[in-house]
Amino acid sequence: MIKKELLEEVLGVAMSTGGDFAEVYGEHTRSNGIMFVDGKVDRITDNVLSGVGIRVFLGERTVYASTSDMSREGLINCARSAADALAEGNAPISICLSRRDHIDIHPVKIDPVTAKISTKTDILKSACFAAKEYSELISQVQGSLNAVEHEILVANSEGLLTGDTHTRTRMFVSAVASDNGENQSGGAGPGRGMGLEMFDFISPEETGISAAKTALVNLRAGYCEAGQMTVAIESGFGGVIFHEACGHSLEATSVGTGTSEMCGKLGQKVANEKVTAIDDGTIAGAWGSVNIDDEGNPTQRNVLIENGILKGYMVDRLGSRRLGMAMTGNSRRQSYSYEPTSRMTNTFIANGPDKNEDIIASIEYGLYAKQMGGGSVNPLTGAFNFAVNEGYMIRNGKICEAVRGASLIGTGSKILQDIDMVGQNLATGQGMCGSSSGSVPTDVGQPLIRVKKITVGGR
Amino acid sequence: MNFDAVKNSLVREARAAGLEEYEIYFMESGGTSAETLKGEISSFSCETSGGISFRCIYGGKLGSAATQLFTDEEMKALVERAIENAKYVESDDKAVIFSGSESYAELDLPEIEEKSTAELKQIALSLHKDIYAQSEYVSDGTSAFVMQNKTNIVLMNSHGLELCGKVGVAGAGASAVVSKDGEAQEAFSLRSGFAKEDLEAIPKDSVADALKKLGATEIESGKYDVIIDGKQMRTLLSTFSSVFSGRSANLGLSLLKGKEGEQIAAECVTIVDDPMYKGSAMQTSFDGEGVATYTKNVVEKGVLKTLLYDIASADKVGKESTGNGQRAGYASPVSVAPYHFYLSAGELDDEALLGALGDGLYITELKGLHAGANSVTGDFSIESAGFRVRDGKLCEAVKSFTIAGNFFELIKSVESLSSNVKFGFPSGFTVFGAPDTLIRKMSVAGK
Repeated sequence: MIKKELLEEVLGVAMSTGGDFAEVYGEHTRSNGIMFVDGKVDRITDNVLSGVGIRVFLGERTVYASTSDMSREGLINCARSAADALAEGNAPISICLSRRDHIDIHPVKIDPVTAKISTKTDILKSACFAAKEYSELISQVQGSLNAVEHEILVANSEGLLTGDTHTRTRMFVSAVASDNGENQSGGAGPGRGMGLEMFDFISPEETGISAAKTALVNLRAGYCEAGQMTVAIESGFGGVIFHEACGHSLEATSVGTGTSEMCGKLGQKVANEKVTAIDDGTIAGAWGSVNIDDEGNPTQRNVLIENGILKGYMVDRLGSRRLGMAMTGNSRRQSYSYEPTSRMTNTFIANGPDKNEDIIASIEYGLYAKQMGGGSVNPLTGAFNFAVNEGYMIRNGKICEAVRGASLIGTGSKILQDIDMVGQNLATGQGMCGSSSGSVPTDVGQPLIRVKKITVGGR
Repeated sequence: MNFDAVKNSLVREARAAGLEEYEIYFMESGGTSAETLKGEISSFSCETSGGISFRCIYGGKLGSAATQLFTDEEMKALVERAIENAKYVESDDKAVIFSGSESYAELDLPEIEEKSTAELKQIALSLHKDIYAQSEYVSDGTSAFVMQNKTNIVLMNSHGLELCGKVGVAGAGASAVVSKDGEAQEAFSLRSGFAKEDLEAIPKDSVADALKKLGATEIESGKYDVIIDGKQMRTLLSTFSSVFSGRSANLGLSLLKGKEGEQIAAECVTIVDDPMYKGSAMQTSFDGEGVATYTKNVVEKGVLKTLLYDIASADKVGKESTGNGQRAGYASPVSVAPYHFYLSAGELDDEALLGALGDGLYITELKGLHAGANSVTGDFSIESAGFRVRDGKLCEAVKSFTIAGNFFELIKSVESLSSNVKFGFPSGFTVFGAPDTLIRKMSVAGK
């Protein structure tokens, strides 16, 4: 992407005003997306993203400059503006880079970006038609199949020169069911850090049917009752509860600036002893996996909470300086336009001791959240919210009528203590997580869990 | 970035490929921002980026492709990819490369003074100092930030149309963290521009708002009369803005389909889409397809006057584009979106509106709207915080509750509006605004 000698020169310029560390992040991303609406291929998008981000550190201060101009002049100007924004002076230093390679643990079999468009439209159509044909009440189906090949390069003033190519593929199907002038929707969006081979084990038809089923369930559902109750949250995307309620508060982004309710709690009991939570960026082909993070560090498996005890945070380079802790391979960014920061990869609550049927049977009156939507959190206070996309009331230990329009709110530190049963069917779901360094793919996951008391928003 | 050189190369490739109708859309942006932490500039960033999107009609279908690589080789590949993509498009949308509107508005754009790196840093540092000076409870994690950026757009096509535009945004803000008796709270304040009164208001507002949140209590579930702060009302409007899209309606994804001319909201509700809102640096005279923009009431005294359309969605229902075919970025497909989209002011001042409420809640925070609200159904259930109101007076802070309802019912049950429309920062090319809004009998889930 950029020659080694030029990288060395650029780093030298970036360091010329007294920075103590500099880094060049180069990116060449190809993406291709197919949108399917109303029974037809509606549009195809296709983009090449190309640019560089240069970061200079001085202690805990950083300067970030980015440009899409990859010419020698563009790169030097970019480094110059970063250096000038940091301090005054002009003493370029000499940098010598040496290449470090790593093993590719996510090899791609079928490049999804350059694959024939007809192959991709066939896959997408089978999902969308399956949703449409599932019921006469399904009035509209929208689908998309997006493929991204993300080639990165990282070089820094410590002499590191490395790079990686990361591929990801995701399908999304959204179905609308209509009856008597009312609309309800359902969606499904499986994704992997893979090429089109992901459809060898993820059925497009089942993806479509799953979206249609949720829309139909909601069409027949009444509004959820409001108030505090016991809630069973299903495996898979239900893991968004840990992602929002706790994960963001364990990122050095908030811990390092003292704006997390998890500050200073390492070694303390922060959750029920049945809760063990892990962030693992090394899972082969998973949606949130990468070989190396956006600072060039290999990803790793980080135990965040073990049997209720807080074991670690997710730490990037700046967080490492702020906290005096080792980096954990969690530095991520949407693109070269964003300064990277600590982010989650694949984050999940591990299987626990309880049988799933016992969890449902234990609830006299409560909510079974079968499918969760997204949510958000304020790491400072831990206050979080998320939506229930498909839910059912539980009465006398049995799953009863469907309810819609529910949301769950609470605070992270409290809900972690209140997760008092953890089941055994760990599964993951895919999401795009938004934060200061943009939108990045993350997996969330958990087995079925029980939260003994939480506020359910409804009406 | 040298657009002219790229343009010539691209036109050459398009002609060589035998294309008769094509369009080039160029977007270039530059921006700087600075942020403080613990009395220092903790981060500073500057960005320049540019990209091109190429659209063409091939076999009667629209194909497109985009890139940030400006080499001759890539220009050839760009044309090839756009043609290849067109081959697989099945949509029966009318494929149009627009030949131009009769006229385009002359914009009265405000002069935005560009600040130097040193000036921006100075503003941020002085804001930071002022925030800490507000209260002994201000604590670490507090940060001030400043930003400015501008975007240039060129749209040209095979019909000889060539349009240029520029939009910008600049402003400052703060996130004040206060800690007292083991409890931490934060509040934000954000202002456009760098006027003295704004820079003085940011520290005051952010710290006062954060302090007011301390010691918030929980409330009982039930039905409450509420005022939604204009800053929150505009995020609700933003979340549900796609229901006003003609494209969504055509696809059956908006419940406003077929409702043009009908009463859909309370009589006090007027919603305006103004591409030329006076004094704004986000004004634009043409949309992402080259159609001239104009100001219109989307809802007038509760009656839905028009939905918003791009060329294709208007054609489907025998109408003209309303100039709302936007592109959020150089690579984004055309989608229907408004410009300055706001709920018009009412007549009551803030105090009179509280008086009209009597007893209830003043909602100052809505969180997680991307998840807790569904524009297809109109349903929402959203984490909220705010203040108890008794006898028309703001009382204690309240938290940890949700408000739930349906957008289409909500706009029918608006009782009155304050006289002050609060605009936010642009989201893409749209700026949302709303006054404080009084609504009766909102469902609240608390303890």
